[in-house]
This record gives sequence, structure tokens and C-alpha cells, in this order.
Amino acid sequence: MERVNGPLLEFTGVTLRFGGVTALDDVSFEVEPGELFAIIGPNGAGKTSIFNCLNGVYRPQRGTITLDGTSLLGRAPAAIAGLGVARTFQNLGLFAHLTLIENLMLGRHHLMHTGFFSGMFWWGRAKREEIAHRAAVEEIVELLELEPYRRMPAGLLPYGVAKRAELGRALAMEPRLLLLDEPVAGMNLEETEDTARYLLEVRRELGLAMILVEHDMSLVMDLADRVLALDFGVVIATGKPSEVQDDPHVIEAYLGGAA
Amino acid sequence: MGAHRNVTRGYADELRLFGTPLARTGLAALVVVFLVLPTVVQNDFWLSVLIYVGITAIGAIGLNLLTGYCGQISLGHAFFIGAGAYAAARVGGEIGLPLPLWLLAAAAIGAALGGLIGPFTLRLRGHYLAIVTLGLVFIGEHLWRNLTDLTGGNSGTPVTAGASIGPIDFNSLNLFGESYSRNQGWFWLVWGLVALVALLAKNLVRTRPGRALQAVRDRDQAAEVIGVRAGQYKIGAFMLSSAIAAMAGALFGSYQQFVSPDEWNLLLSIQYIAIVIVGGLGTIFGAVLGAIFVGALPALIDRYSEAIPGVQTSVGGEGFISVFALNQALFGLLIVLFLVFEPRGLAGIWLRIKAYFKAWPFSY
Repeated sequence: MERVNGPLLEFTGVTLRFGGVTALDDVSFEVEPGELFAIIGPNGAGKTSIFNCLNGVYRPQRGTITLDGTSLLGRAPAAIAGLGVARTFQNLGLFAHLTLIENLMLGRHHLMHTGFFSGMFWWGRAKREEIAHRAAVEEIVELLELEPYRRMPAGLLPYGVAKRAELGRALAMEPRLLLLDEPVAGMNLEETEDTARYLLEVRRELGLAMILVEHDMSLVMDLADRVLALDFGVVIATGKPSEVQDDPHVIEAYLGGAA
Repeated sequence: MGAHRNVTRGYADELRLFGTPLARTGLAALVVVFLVLPTVVQNDFWLSVLIYVGITAIGAIGLNLLTGYCGQISLGHAFFIGAGAYAAARVGGEIGLPLPLWLLAAAAIGAALGGLIGPFTLRLRGHYLAIVTLGLVFIGEHLWRNLTDLTGGNSGTPVTAGASIGPIDFNSLNLFGESYSRNQGWFWLVWGLVALVALLAKNLVRTRPGRALQAVRDRDQAAEVIGVRAGQYKIGAFMLSSAIAAMAGALFGSYQQFVSPDEWNLLLSIQYIAIVIVGGLGTIFGAVLGAIFVGALPALIDRYSEAIPGVQTSVGGEGFISVFALNQALFGLLIVLFLVFEPRGLAGIWLRIKAYFKAWPFSY
């Protein structure tokens, strides 16, 4: 299955409908290994729907989605996570009553094996596994500078830290493809710059392919290798950030039909 | 190395359950109480209350794994407890298997029944799941009354299951030349099992499967997306909780030596809900605290009903409320008061006291 050349993700001709509403209309794109790919578009354009199709939360009516040659269609979300697709959520998907460390350890759930019985009989396998994976989690804690918050319940984390913790949980999954749903939504300028720095660092250290859904245009223009612009479920432009920024269709979608 | 005894030197140290000197002292104190209490309190009434409380604590740990940790509400706990009691009557009494085996048999039967009901949790949540599991209590009552070969029907069945582990018979305990009463033996048996079940449950909730249960409770869709098969864990939690309930039922039946279908009613389920809410949802020791607090109530009310004004001591006697109705009302009241004033339960109060002394003399 491992292919040396060719795109990591192929998203081809995907159409998703809810009753009479077409959320995605024949959307196609590819993501190369190690690429930072951004998806932009006004509210309701279908950006998050793309993620939900990738995750297996929604099942599109038409089209194919393959990761490294393996089809993702029809697989359960948990199975897709096992194939190496990680995600952060637009409005925080942390488990509020669990501590930050426990949240990150949950990211490693699919890499661990302890079941009900070996968990109950702690000594031996379960304990060894806890310690080994805790060490891996600590590397992420260090990378994202989350040390002061280890034992804090995720529900009590400050907003910016919680966003970073969610990124950490996604990284703990050791993914091949990372989906970031508005990582800087609701952040001020400094927090946004911090996040950009972390994303660049993650990219440099881990060489991950990422898909970024974001409203903050300056962030997208600074970070992304390529950009896809979406409006009402239709792809209106794909290309380098500067090309997409100047595309008349994109300007029209953002500023209205005055042009 | 004496001075560094309390320094954490690695993740293994940090993961110890009784990691601080204070925690170890507390554990030692509990062990002493466990060993000495039955020799000090020899009164059969009080010992039997404590034995029922211990059995209830085991059942409550089971329900807390399902409701507190996995977020699945169940009003059907009484059904599984009843099934366990009948399993003890048949496997322990009639076939005559020894205690460890009838206890495991009850657990297996409980898990199997839980596995049958579990899939309903995939489609239902909240109130709807409560209604379906509520139905279980009534289906159970019908079954218990009509499967006469298994349950003795309306008139009930004796439970003659033995209580020996190897050479040690808890019904007539004989240790170091001393002989102990049945109640003393059962106290050690039941509270030893409480400790064992609590330890296994604590281990479960601090490792991978326990974290997955809590992830499903907090946000099941996010759990799926990071690789937790939520459906599997919901069914697993249901099976485990039912298995533990059935073990509690088996112990209950063989301690009481006789069970009848009237015991597995809705009130019993509600008592368990009250216990996990009063004790603290999502904590193991909260389930035990709750069982001590709430589980002792019915026995105490029954014993002191004459001293409580307005309570009928016999059918048609004076007073405006029966013992049964008073129990129901108190469980309801406790649930409401704790949900309103202390949703984290007794365990939450305990943690607050602990945090206060940890920070002392500072108040923050």
C-alpha cells in the first residue's frame, strides 16, 4: 500500500447532499505528503463538511476519498483515525472532565492495546503500556509548552491553551494527515502568532501533511503551500495563496456580487 | 535515600495509587478497621447492616462505571442484581459449586444479559435509555414470577450457596483456634470483596479502557474521531456493570439465604441511582461512601420505625407513611438535594476538604 510517489490524499469528485441541500458539489483536490493545504471560504461554504467526509462522520453520495491508496469511504470514524487521520474541532473537542494528560493519552488510544481485563489487572502489561505512552505524550507537552497545565481538567483550561491542547491530542495520535478546523478562531493577534509558530514548528519537527480550514486570511496566506477556495459547496479556485487571493471569483465570494 | 522517599522519580512512581505517606497511612488505618471491627462490634444487627452496605457498595461500583464513567443512565440495575441472586441459588445452591465459582458464574450471566441489553445504548441516550432500562425491571419481575423452576415463582427460593474459599468457610469461620460467628465471617468476606472490586475498578478507570469510557461520556463524536470505538465501549460498560451487579446480587442472595421476586423492584434501582449521585458520579470511592450513607438507611429506618413519628410499624397501623414509602421519599429527597447543592457528591465534599488542608494555611 505504501506508495513513494504521488499525493497522500486524493479527494475526487465528492458530492454530499442533505435532502435538497447540496453541501459539497463535485469537490476535488489532492494533498501532497508534508504539504500545508488550506481551505477557505465564507460561512456555510462546506469547509467543515469536507472534514466530516474525511473523518467518516458524513458519507458522501458520490466521489472517492483515498489516503495513500486506501479508500476512506464507508469506514467508521475510529477506523479512519487508526489509518492516521487526526483532527481538531472548530469549537473544541476536548473531554472536559479529563485532565490535559488524560486527553493527550486518549490521542494514543488507537496505538495502545490494554483492554478491560488487562486494565483491571494493572500490574504487567497495562502498567508498562501506560508508562511508555506517557513518555511519548510528554514529548508533545514539551513541544507545545503545556507543562503547567498537565493535571488541569480540560474544561478549566484557558481558551488558547485548550486549542493548543487539542492540537497536542491530535499530534499524540501520530497521524499522517492532520485536519485543523479553525485553529485560531476567537484568538487575539498574539495568540494567533503563537499558534502559527507552533504549527510551523510541528511541521518542521514532524513533517506532517496538514489541511487547514481558516477564516484568518493573513494566517492562510503566510502558512499555506496551496489554497482551495470554496463557495456554496463549489470549488471556485485552487492554487498558490497569492493566485487565489487575486482570483476574481474569490473576491466576489468574499465581498459580494458588486464586481 | 531516606530524604528522597517522597520524590517522584519517574512515571511509575507517579502512577502509584497510594503514592504519598498520608495515603499509605489512610490505607493502613482502613485495613486495621477492616480486621478489628467485627471483633469489636459483635452485635448481629449492626454487622448485618454493614454486610448489606458492603454488598450494596459492590453493586454501586458497577453502576458508577456505567453511569458515572460512561454516562449511560440505567434504571435496570435491580434486574441484574436479581439475576445474580438466582444464579447463586442455582449454581451455588443446587449444583453446589464453591464460592469463587458461583461468584464468577453470576458475573458471566450478568455480563451475558448486559450484552443483550447493551446494543440499545447505541441508539438511545438520556431519558430514552432510562425508559428502556426501566422496562427491564418490569420484564424482570414478570420473568422472576413465572420461571418457577429457576426462581421459585412468587413464593421465592432458598439460596443455599456455600461461602468457603478453599479451606476457609466464612459461614463458620475458625482461625487460629478462635471461632467466629456467621456475621463476622461474612463481614470479612464482603468487605474484602469490596476492596478487590474497588481496586480492579480503579485500575480500569485509570488505564486505556477507562479513559475511553469517560471520553464517550464527555463527547462521543470527538471520541470516535480520535479512534475510540464508542459503541464497543458503551456495550462493554453495560456488560461490566451488569456483571458486577450480578455478583452483588449473588452475595445478597446467599447471605440472606432466601430471595423472592419482590426484592428486585424499581425502588432498588432508584436506591442505586441515589447512591452513585450522593456518593459522587465518576469516582470509585464515592460509590462506597454513597453505599455507606444511603445503603444503611432502609435497615436503620426499619429498625427504628417505632421511634420515627408518623411511620406505620405494621400494615394498617397508626401513622401516615409506610416504611417503604418513607424510603422512597428519602431517596428522592437525597437525589434532589445532592443534585442541587453538591453535584459532585460526598466524594466532592471530601476532595474539597483535602484540597483545603493541602493549601493550608492559604485559602486558595
